[in-house]
Amino acid sequence: MQRVLRQWKVDAPLPPGFQDQVWKRISRQEPQAGTNAWAELLRVAGAILLRPRVALSYVTILLVVGVAAGSLTAQVKTSHLDATLRARYVQSLDPYHPASSHP
Amino acid sequence: MKRGGFILLLGLVLGAAAFCLFYFAGTAASRDIMKEPQPELAWLKKEFNLGDEEFSRVLKLHDAYLPQCAERCKKIAEQNRKLQELLGNSLNVTPEVQELLLERAKTRAACETEMLNHFVQVSRTMPPSQGRRYLAWVEQQTFLTSQGMEQRHHAEADGGSDHSDHSLHHH
Repeated sequence: MQRVLRQWKVDAPLPPGFQDQVWKRISRQEPQAGTNAWAELLRVAGAILLRPRVALSYVTILLVVGVAAGSLTAQVKTSHLDATLRARYVQSLDPYHPASSHP
Repeated sequence: MKRGGFILLLGLVLGAAAFCLFYFAGTAASRDIMKEPQPELAWLKKEFNLGDEEFSRVLKLHDAYLPQCAERCKKIAEQNRKLQELLGNSLNVTPEVQELLLERAKTRAACETEMLNHFVQVSRTMPPSQGRRYLAWVEQQTFLTSQGMEQRHHAEADGGSDHSDHSLHHH
């Protein structure tokens, strides 16, 4: 059987555009691989989060991060506004202030 | 799987909600101030803990000061324009230029005097401790602290000579 298979030769030519078709099929498959990776990641994360302790820790951590980031951003924004208003007050009174709109 | 996805989403939504809540709560006071017709004065009220009566006195003083200040500003602008014109016509320090420089210095002195008077009047409308704090703060922010060249000279005297800076003052 093996001897017969070794002797067997395919003489039929490949159909036109065969290689192009192969590459097209490969490129169509690639995005799906990415999607599969995401789906796999979500599946694993979902499975891990089914444990009550992990789920509680995850939600708590995100809450704490949200609170801290919100407070910090608010603090930065407030001090920036304060500095702007301080400068505006001084500029409105002092014509010799470097940033004054006066001469 | 569905429950896990729900927890994943819940965490993200709660985190985002906490961020928004704390951000908007934290900036509420500043946003209210910015909505005022004169936000810089509303800031003054908040910063120096002024009551409504004290604040209305500050407002009156401020409104009385600004037109006079604008007049002086016009004068300064006119003097600056004249000086530029004279300096553009001649490369020498003519008696006319000297006279204008003197006049400009007088205007500046008058302006600073009026400004200082205003600051003192405003500080008097405040509770004593806040008034002192206000005066100390405006001193830092305005002409009352040493500026520019004299500050650099002072720094040089303290920290040794800096030739690169000195070269700026050779006339």
